[in-house]
Amino acid sequence: MINKDLSIDFLGVHFENPFCLSSSPVDNCYEMCAKAFDEGWGGVVFKTIGPAHFEVDEVSPRFDELTKEGTPFVGFKNMEQIAEHSLQENLDDLKKLKKNYPQKIVIASIMGTNAQDWEDLAGLVTEAGADMIEMNLSCPQMTSHEMGSDVGTNPDLVQKYCEAVKRGSDLPMMAKMTPNITDMIPAVKASLAGGADGIATINTVKSIANVDLDKKVCLPIVNGKSSISGFSGKAVKPIALRFIQQLRAAAGLEQLAISGIGGIETWEDAVEFILLGSTTLQVTTAVMQYGYRIVEDMKNGLMHYMEEQGVDHLKDLVGLANKNIIPAEDLDRDYKVYPKIDWDKCIGCGRCFISCFDGAHQAITWDEKSRRPSVDYSKCVGCQLCNLVCPVGAISTGKIEMKPGRKGDPSKVDIESVRLTH
Amino acid sequence: MTNDYTKENSGYTMTTVAEEAARCLLCHDAPCSKACPAHTDPAKFIRSVRFRNFKGAAETIRENNALGSICARVCPTEKYCELACSRSGIDFPIDIGGIQRFVTDFEQKVDMHILKKGKSNGKKIAIVGSGPAGLQSAVTLLEKGYSVDIFEKNTKPGGYLTYGIPEYRLPSDIVDYEVKRITDMGANIHLDTSIGEDITMADLKSNYKAVILAIGASEAKMLPMFDNNKFTESAVDFLAHVKQTKGKVTLPDNIVVIGGGDVAMDVSTTLKRLAVKNVTDVVYEEFDEFKASKKELAGTRNAGVTIVDGYIPDKVNGNEVTFKHRKIDSKLTIKADKIIMAVGQQVNPDRLGITIEHGEVPFIGYRTEDPQVYVTGDIAHGDKTVVWAVRKGKEVAEEIDSVLGGSSND
Ligand SMILES: Cc1cc2nc3c(=O)[nH]c(=O)nc-3n(C[C@H](O)[C@H](O)[C@H](O)COP(=O)(O)OP(=O)(O)OC[C@H]3O[C@@H](n4cnc5c(N)ncnc54)[C@H](O)[C@@H]3O)c2cc1C
Ligand SMILES: Cc1cc2nc3c(=O)[nH]c(=O)nc-3n(C[C@H](O)[C@H](O)[C@H](O)COP(=O)(O)O)c2cc1C
Ligand code: SF4
Ligand code: SF4
Ligand code: SF4
Repeated sequence: MINKDLSIDFLGVHFENPFCLSSSPVDNCYEMCAKAFDEGWGGVVFKTIGPAHFEVDEVSPRFDELTKEGTPFVGFKNMEQIAEHSLQENLDDLKKLKKNYPQKIVIASIMGTNAQDWEDLAGLVTEAGADMIEMNLSCPQMTSHEMGSDVGTNPDLVQKYCEAVKRGSDLPMMAKMTPNITDMIPAVKASLAGGADGIATINTVKSIANVDLDKKVCLPIVNGKSSISGFSGKAVKPIALRFIQQLRAAAGLEQLAISGIGGIETWEDAVEFILLGSTTLQVTTAVMQYGYRIVEDMKNGLMHYMEEQGVDHLKDLVGLANKNIIPAEDLDRDYKVYPKIDWDKCIGCGRCFISCFDGAHQAITWDEKSRRPSVDYSKCVGCQLCNLVCPVGAISTGKIEMKPGRKGDPSKVDIESVRLTH
Repeated sequence: MTNDYTKENSGYTMTTVAEEAARCLLCHDAPCSKACPAHTDPAKFIRSVRFRNFKGAAETIRENNALGSICARVCPTEKYCELACSRSGIDFPIDIGGIQRFVTDFEQKVDMHILKKGKSNGKKIAIVGSGPAGLQSAVTLLEKGYSVDIFEKNTKPGGYLTYGIPEYRLPSDIVDYEVKRITDMGANIHLDTSIGEDITMADLKSNYKAVILAIGASEAKMLPMFDNNKFTESAVDFLAHVKQTKGKVTLPDNIVVIGGGDVAMDVSTTLKRLAVKNVTDVVYEEFDEFKASKKELAGTRNAGVTIVDGYIPDKVNGNEVTFKHRKIDSKLTIKADKIIMAVGQQVNPDRLGITIEHGEVPFIGYRTEDPQVYVTGDIAHGDKTVVWAVRKGKEVAEEIDSVLGGSSND
């Protein structure tokens, strides 16, 4: 079995591996975190701790899932608030975790209703022995506007609360940002101005996943009614990756320290977050669906990836993709690449023909007798939709051609990718 | 299904294996893993496939089972892991063998080298027989730091993997590749060397710390009434010949097969794949007591073999065999151009100093009365399948290591 060092430093704290549980029901108490550590997680962001005076009062049921064809949990909608255990129980758990797992990283997620709360909570979790603080500025289902994701969209409040936390504690601190915003950069800059050392993102995306057609209300139904609430899991990964890329591409934020969150489930997802600039990773929904054991394949798969890439230190992978993602107006538009169809692999389903006709440029002709497709080069625009829909990988990228009147060497055009070229 | 003798069914693609893995319920304390005789841990490698960690899946298989690509193809999974699969409560079991084949094919494609020789402890072990049991015991011993010499009386290594199981179920390329991993790891295989003839047991015992007998049941059983019958050939000789020539043999149009186990099914199906017109298999057992697996039986029937159950040979006269029914008063005479006898295999323990009763040693375990000599594979107590040969290969190596004390003094 392969064994490679996955350790990495983040905000001056040493993680034995980058995989952490994000703040949520998956790390709600001591026993859960202890089991997760035993199964190999590098750190936990303990379920968000609120002030003693804030009363948590949860609804039931509280979850919904988006499915597609036979696949469950494409996305996951939740209506939870923050920790339901008492402040003292939570602080005791943090202390015990740090005592019994000194080499693992315990991060306290906190949320206050005003600056004084934030400052006090920061002090309390520091006394309890946490290694780091995460400020939850992003929960979309709080019952008060002084708390949750509304705060995260207001740069002035963000800065004020960050300053409060820094008054209460000198621990490294990350601000957890909401994706329910068009541009995250002002809020991030405000948090840094307020003293944050890094960013965690994303929290859940405000959503309605399904509507009950008889009751005419979205799910889950809480005694006849329901609410907009946070969406997570695989479906939000593209949104999370987009925010992380935009942050790292912003002037002055090129080296921003990020803990990446949103839909991570496999080692490949994890690598994507790292390549876009995340140093550590956080997971909830995949753990709710499959359990802590998924970390085994994430760690092992990441080790194999590092081996393939000839990389011995995980930090050498952080942000490697950032520079290759450029504004759309700067892309090379001088060529097109035709699809190539392998008739031996083709099983004659005709999906490429249908998609090209109905969704592209009517460039595939269909031989009814032999049930085989052919490309009509006079019509094909090179979008490669056919390639994506073919169920057996019979279509790959073929000949590359410069558009009429454009200059360039087609043999130098780089479109190589496992997804398209097979 | 193609009828070509050398053509294996096509396996999963990246997309279809993901679909099959998605059917797996990812059970807690998974029954499939508990039911695998070799502890290949299907639940763990299927989970790795589900989470797109194909290399990790390959590590799980290979580290638990040095013949993972072979077991993926020939394991009677319906008796082991798939019999236990929880998914049967919904519809039908996960195709564990098929997923395992995808993973080991992937391992071969990206040329992973998972098996690693341990730090040498200077101790030498001799293994007699290069079938699956001999090969697996070699791997486990090499991992523990022993050096191993395998002695094989045949010209090629592999035992029944090379000379028995037909090409369409187990391509020789796969066996060659599996054996190569093991020789690359450091096993020396001495071919064309029969222990008891070319080298004596006494010689082996004086040159090696321990000797493992993994000789299998490599000879055919015959019914006495067919002695010296020039139309008759044994199943194992026939299968070996067909496999070695990759199916390039000339056969008559009308062949009768006698026997009802998996070997008889292999012979009958092979004949059909080689386009023999009339293949009649006459079986002692009646259908409800059949020895062959359901899968093999179905494959044979699909291939178009005529199966007659409940009859035993009564008289033979040249190429004319008369059978009589075991229960009813009925006789059946068949005239064939060739008769293939698939009534079992037997062990030849000559000059090896061990006792064999009913095809195996008369005790449970691996160490014989001679404390320097061990047995494994088909001649040791337990099922007579490749996956059990793997299990017994691992276990005999563990036992030797516990006796010889691992890496302590020589
Ligand atoms: C036609 C056929 C089909 C089968 N199909 C399946 C199947 O689909 N699935 C399954 O799980 N099992 C199957 N089996 C059973 C399986 O092949 C055996 O259980 C397995 O091969 C036993 O392994 P082994 O290592 O004990 O012995 P073998 O594979 O029999 O190997 C023993 C080796 O020892 C060598 N040897 C013997 N005596 C000496 C000596 N004195 N000196 C040197 N070498 C010697 C032999 O030449 C041989 O190479 C099949 C068997 C047959 C015959
Ligand atoms: C049921 C549930 C409860 C959550 N509770 C919190 C919380 O208390 N504090 C917090 O910062 N984030 C909370 N989150 C958000 C997650 O930590 C995470 O940011 C988000 O779910 C995206 O990651 P994922 O796709 O891996 O689940 C919660 C998520 C879920 C599904
Ligand atoms: S690349 Fe686009 S336009 Fe061309 S054949 Fe495929 S689907 Fe049609
Ligand atoms: S989608 Fe693929 S398999 Fe189906 S017809 Fe087109 S090329 Fe053939
Ligand atoms: S028993 Fe079946 S469903 Fe359960 S883990 Fe094993 S293969 Fe999957």
